[in-house]
Amino acid sequence: MKWRVTPGASILDAVTGAYLYASMAHVVVPELLGFTTTWTSTDTILVVVCALLVMLIGAMREISLGALFVRGGLPPEANTIGRTWTQHLGWFTFSVSVLAGWILTDISPIEFFSGNGLNGAARIFGALLTPNFDIIGEALDAMVVTIFSAFMATIIAVPVAFILAFPAARNVMNQGPMERAIYSGLRAILNITRSMEPIIWAIIFAVWVGIGPFAGMLALVIHTISSLAKQYSEQIEDVDDGPIEAISATGATRLQVLWFAIVPQCVIPFLSFTIYRWDINVRMATIIGFVGGGGIGTLLMQYQGVSKFHEVGTLVIVITAVVWILDVASARIREALK
Amino acid sequence: MPALLSIRDLSHTYDNGFTALRGVSFDVEPGEFLVVIGLSGSGKSTLLRTINRLIEPTSGSILMEGADVSHITGPALREHCARIGMIFQHFNLIDRHTVLDNVLYGALGTTASMASIMKQFTPEQRSEAKRALEIVGIVEKANNRADALSGGQQQRVAIARALMQHPKLLLADEPVASLDPSTSHSVMQYLERINKEMGTTVICNLHFLSLVRRYATRVIALKAGQIVFTGTPDQITDEWFRTIYGEDAMEVEIR
Repeated sequence: MKWRVTPGASILDAVTGAYLYASMAHVVVPELLGFTTTWTSTDTILVVVCALLVMLIGAMREISLGALFVRGGLPPEANTIGRTWTQHLGWFTFSVSVLAGWILTDISPIEFFSGNGLNGAARIFGALLTPNFDIIGEALDAMVVTIFSAFMATIIAVPVAFILAFPAARNVMNQGPMERAIYSGLRAILNITRSMEPIIWAIIFAVWVGIGPFAGMLALVIHTISSLAKQYSEQIEDVDDGPIEAISATGATRLQVLWFAIVPQCVIPFLSFTIYRWDINVRMATIIGFVGGGGIGTLLMQYQGVSKFHEVGTLVIVITAVVWILDVASARIREALK
Repeated sequence: MPALLSIRDLSHTYDNGFTALRGVSFDVEPGEFLVVIGLSGSGKSTLLRTINRLIEPTSGSILMEGADVSHITGPALREHCARIGMIFQHFNLIDRHTVLDNVLYGALGTTASMASIMKQFTPEQRSEAKRALEIVGIVEKANNRADALSGGQQQRVAIARALMQHPKLLLADEPVASLDPSTSHSVMQYLERINKEMGTTVICNLHFLSLVRRYATRVIALKAGQIVFTGTPDQITDEWFRTIYGEDAMEVEIR
């Protein structure tokens, strides 16, 4: 037997095998046949067997499902038998995923269209569509708080992200292993902080500084710094090398090269990212309000908590209008900046 | 008295394993207009970039007025760069800044970082930048944005930026390769004037032999990172031409 596909492709094939066994044996089949099941040591053995099986079948062909997702894993002369097998496996995996997804999400058309369900829908839509405008003043005040906490979060985050973006750019940190290490470390930290949703940060800061707009703003600051620093640094990596060479050739210091060769090429995209981020932050600030970030989100949580849906309707209108206006405005501004 | 520039057994291999220069040696005397020819990938650009140390050579040495600059770093390297002007095929101006600012950036090597970032160039530097623009004949464009200029004009701004450095040596990497023929001659003539009237030594990479014959005082030909010809422009016979550019090459004229 000749091993034809790359190791990376084989690993992906094995993962596919294991996934297929797990979802078939523990989600799809039990649901269809109406029994419940627990994971046993037999399952552990079978999952490995399935993984090896799919891996071996893939490895003996020039093309495998895994090879499709590995760079350079697909030779131009992949044979037709391999293709058919890969197609079948691909469709099978996709079908199993749809079935498993349906089951795991408790999708229930009966619930959706039941008389009881429709009554509930009619009640809440009725309330939302007859908003209580007595609280419009309160709603607008809270909305202003939300807009400004998003604005302040962006303003505070921008200089920090700007400074962090340079050591997080590969083409800036290219002198020696020390700079490489700083670059990799910083990129890792940015990726981790960015992966933590702002809502998690809001929970942390609500405990730290107390419930209110300040906690929400701090949560947004953290997320905005890591998001903007990543976008900025990718922009820096995209700049034209020519001006960098030209400025370096005048005997400029590194700081001068950054300022005169790199920054001018980045200003407009940076502005564009920043405006878009403020737009995103207004939406996020609304959600963050739910966990104690203040502003209109907190108000919305309070009214829906006591089922005052006419008031909730007012808040929904205010939020939708503001988000829509900001969306259009930020798109216009970004278009004008190009 | 040592030569202005002395290259000894210079080799360079890039990180990706490509060897661009293999044991290149030659001297450059003050006042020369030395032209380097060769195919794309023959090592011409690498050679120029090792001279002003945008690239650190793998082995061999570069002596500038007798001083070894092959592996200098920090302030010494910046001082070395500041003494050598360089112009590029794609001009490499800062597009969004004014022509005058671009010329002033030629003085970055001799201006403190913070002062330059605050745009605190001295009145002397400013009037000098104006003079440099007069030399290349576009002082009236001083306040235009650099990217509003034509290619030939941009290259003249780049020359003015290099003049700001009072260079002993001017490196020109394919200075006319992205210009049309008539503009090419205009740019080459500015380089010639700087060479003849100001006594600045020029090392220039060129593609077109007709330009080489017109402007060079001496020619070096590179092939696969090695020098295959040294001489005066009129010594490049058809036979040499085929050696340098390959058997099937045909000379294309630019007038």
